[in-house]
Amino acid sequence: MNIVVALKQIPSMADELPLNAQGSNLDFDEVDFVLNEFDEHALEQAVLVKEKSGGAVTALGVDLIEALDDVLYTALAKGADKAIKIVGDFEPGADSHTQAAWLAAVIRDLSPDLVLTGVQAANDLDGQIGPMLAAHLDLPYVGVVTGLEVAQGVAKVHKEFAGGVVADIEVDLPCVAGIQAAAKPPRYAPISKIRQIAKTAQIAEAEAAAAGPDAGVTLRRMAKPVATGRADMLAGDAKQVAAKIIDILTERGLL
Amino acid sequence: MLTTIEKLIFILLVAFFVGFLALRGFWGIYKIVRQGRPAPALKNIPQRMLAAVVQVGLQQTIFRSRPWLSVFHAFIFFGFSYYFLVNVTDLLEGFAPGFELVYGGRALAAAPTGLVNLFNLVADILSVLTLLGMIVFLVRRFISRDQRLRFNEGVLLNPRVQAGGVARDSLIVGGFILLHVGSRFLGQALRLAEHGAPDPFMPFASLTANLFGGLSPAALDAGIHTTWWLAIGLIVLFFPYFVVSKHIHLMVAPINLGLAKQNPRGQLDDASPPGSDIQPGAANLLDLAWPRLLDAYACIMCNRCNDVCPAHSLGSVLSPAAVEVNKRYLINQNFAALAGGSAPPLSLIEHVISPQAVWSCTTCYACVRVCPVGNEPMADIVDIRRSLLIQGDGLDSGVQTALESLSKNGNWFGQGKRARPKWSKALDIEIKDAGKEAVDYLWFVGDTASFDSRVTPLTQAFARILHHAGVDFGILGQAESNAGNDVRRMGEEGLFEQLMENNLKAFSASTFERIVTTDPHSLNTLRNEYRWNGNRRQVIHYSSLLLQLFESGRLQVTQPLSAYVATYHDPCYLGRYNGEYQAVRKLLQHLGVALHEMPRNCENSFCCGGGGHIWMGETPPGERPAENRIREAVTTLTAHAGEGKQENWLFVVSCPKDLIMFSDAVKTTANDGAIQVIDLIQLVEQATGLDKA
Ligand code: SF4
Ligand code: SF4
Repeated sequence: MNIVVALKQIPSMADELPLNAQGSNLDFDEVDFVLNEFDEHALEQAVLVKEKSGGAVTALGVDLIEALDDVLYTALAKGADKAIKIVGDFEPGADSHTQAAWLAAVIRDLSPDLVLTGVQAANDLDGQIGPMLAAHLDLPYVGVVTGLEVAQGVAKVHKEFAGGVVADIEVDLPCVAGIQAAAKPPRYAPISKIRQIAKTAQIAEAEAAAAGPDAGVTLRRMAKPVATGRADMLAGDAKQVAAKIIDILTERGLL
Repeated sequence: MLTTIEKLIFILLVAFFVGFLALRGFWGIYKIVRQGRPAPALKNIPQRMLAAVVQVGLQQTIFRSRPWLSVFHAFIFFGFSYYFLVNVTDLLEGFAPGFELVYGGRALAAAPTGLVNLFNLVADILSVLTLLGMIVFLVRRFISRDQRLRFNEGVLLNPRVQAGGVARDSLIVGGFILLHVGSRFLGQALRLAEHGAPDPFMPFASLTANLFGGLSPAALDAGIHTTWWLAIGLIVLFFPYFVVSKHIHLMVAPINLGLAKQNPRGQLDDASPPGSDIQPGAANLLDLAWPRLLDAYACIMCNRCNDVCPAHSLGSVLSPAAVEVNKRYLINQNFAALAGGSAPPLSLIEHVISPQAVWSCTTCYACVRVCPVGNEPMADIVDIRRSLLIQGDGLDSGVQTALESLSKNGNWFGQGKRARPKWSKALDIEIKDAGKEAVDYLWFVGDTASFDSRVTPLTQAFARILHHAGVDFGILGQAESNAGNDVRRMGEEGLFEQLMENNLKAFSASTFERIVTTDPHSLNTLRNEYRWNGNRRQVIHYSSLLLQLFESGRLQVTQPLSAYVATYHDPCYLGRYNGEYQAVRKLLQHLGVALHEMPRNCENSFCCGGGGHIWMGETPPGERPAENRIREAVTTLTAHAGEGKQENWLFVVSCPKDLIMFSDAVKTTANDGAIQVIDLIQLVEQATGLDKA
């Protein structure tokens, strides 16, 4: 079985996010990029499927900032068999529709049985890569998946809804799934293994196809949240605090 | 003298039991140990061996703990050592016509009477002391049943150990010693009885001879023959058992001490032999380095390491002693196959130590430090972790999260690289960036001091102190990464390498003379493990720098801290690992703080339970090491309650992790208000009046 995982790097949320001078987007020179957390789950789910049902996993992504190699080496260390990066002249903030178009062009040639990707990413939160891939490839799509097994040409997909309702859905292969969480937490890739792989492994390169239509969304302004008003902390023991609360309430005419 | 037929039997027994069985055993041990992986090369082996013999001769390593039992061990040790000589004379008594040494050797022409008398006297006394020592040991094991010889519930034990194998072995060895030494002693007493007169140089034997006064000459002669066989013949028969018993420690321990690790305590051996592409770490018995296999033979199964282990002593399933004991039993069980090179892989996780135990070790080095025979159970544990990590098996989720953050962000706090110097932004003084301007001291801040909000105020205070004292210092800012000490000890060798390379790159892009750090963990790996490639810098702990600043007058005590009653906790990586005990104590003296030592201090300090271990998501229930330590401190200071008000009782620390571990422990042991955890930085601030400035 041919499993493909689409990966995407996004600005690290561990840092503060500085804005560019125009205030139109992040200052991409001043942020570190990391792999989208949902994509880590997609990769784990892909490797789990392979371990259970056989097949090969291909990890691929758009090399937006020329730093995808480490992500792909890590994917290989975790059990992917092949890695592809899509190269070209990119803007670091390329939107999900554009990325999906680039990814789909390469994935089509891989004739996949199963395409997995993170259900969404923290940078745009639009959850569009999966559905757009499915549209480009003309395949069925299931999103917000929390577990997936494959048997006899069918993917059994597990979803969890609010209120503890769960659903198991059967989808004919090939299909695309947006992964919310893998059936098991993503495994750890020891650095020595990643480094070993970095020395020997080959990452295939694919030229980005001509960009198709973008999301049609233009980012006009980005700003840090402005603090409006602030909380006053009442210090002291219970009695003192209670007295202060009464004062405040009386002051506002509420008592 | 023996009869001819007895002599013949004896020679045949020697040839078979010693010449064949035992030698084959020793050769097998040699072949097994040689199959271990290479260890760092050793230098000056003859000198080291000699030093080990002296060490053993003075019983130095054994007096590191359990002083009373060590005295009895010394009796047996000296008795046994002396018996090498004694046994030679016994052989002569058996084989040379008319040879005997009683009464100053008067049966021999030209015997040096004075010397023989001295020899007899020492033999007489040591025989009794050896018997006494052995009886004490047996009583302690079988009658008073010392709990320290037991293992905690849940410790993985070889089934034969579980079934009382060590006790059985001890009984056989003890019985052998009693029989061997006792018979030899009785044999001499019988000789005196035969001659019918006491020997003033054999007081105990003479006393015992009185018991045999009534026996016929034939009975006495039969007794002499029997005791000779029980003393000397027994050794011969015992020899093959010696090879499989724990008693072999008397031979292997000195060798093990002579071949002990020569690199610094704080430097772990490589995960796989340099230049090889063997899988890192140890999954199976023969993946261990050869000294670890020798350790199993040196182990006397005394459990002294368990006593000092912060895990085992508080009920955990980790037992450093069991690591050695299990290895030994595993080897014994597979001896022929191992020696013949045809043994199947023997999984360490299955036979030697459980995964849970592997991850319970805080790598505090206490077991290695205390072991009288120079064993390093901690080294096995780290090697097993390395292998588990590569296989990706059962990694604790907390540890995984920490390691992932370390590889992404260079810290385990899950914060971005750029946030590392954030603490310095809130200061009213400018801190130099050592990457931009040359500085004298590069301050390696470390993760906890950079990110933990309970510690950053102290980090800022230390900056103000250095500034006040006019020290020329700077930091690496966001170019600094976690030093990797604890990462390496969790078994993540590759990540350690990556962190080290990042830091070395940052160092070479900066200009500085030496490094100062408040973090003993960083200090340890920077000092002992980093590959400086000829560019080595001195790495000092802030306690030394502060002391120096006071001694040179650049810091002045304006408010002596004489109201305080304090005890001090030696951090593992400063004390036991790097031998630094005095700077803090001198500094406290300088500040006027009255210091009272806890029973476990300096080399024998008790781990706070920290290190990489604090990343564990799951910790076992029960008393935690830091809680045990706080109770020890409170008890210590209670004995000095008259010296100061309880609000002035201090638990002084010199490590950012300790501040956190022990502050928590004060709360969880309900000692709020009874003792205050305080860092050297805070004390210096108060004594210099900088806290008010
Ligand atoms: S290093 Fe410390 S925690 Fe680990 S086994 Fe030894 S004594 Fe126990
Ligand atoms: S390892 Fe050392 S301290 Fe521990 S039981 Fe063996 S001999 Fe004793």
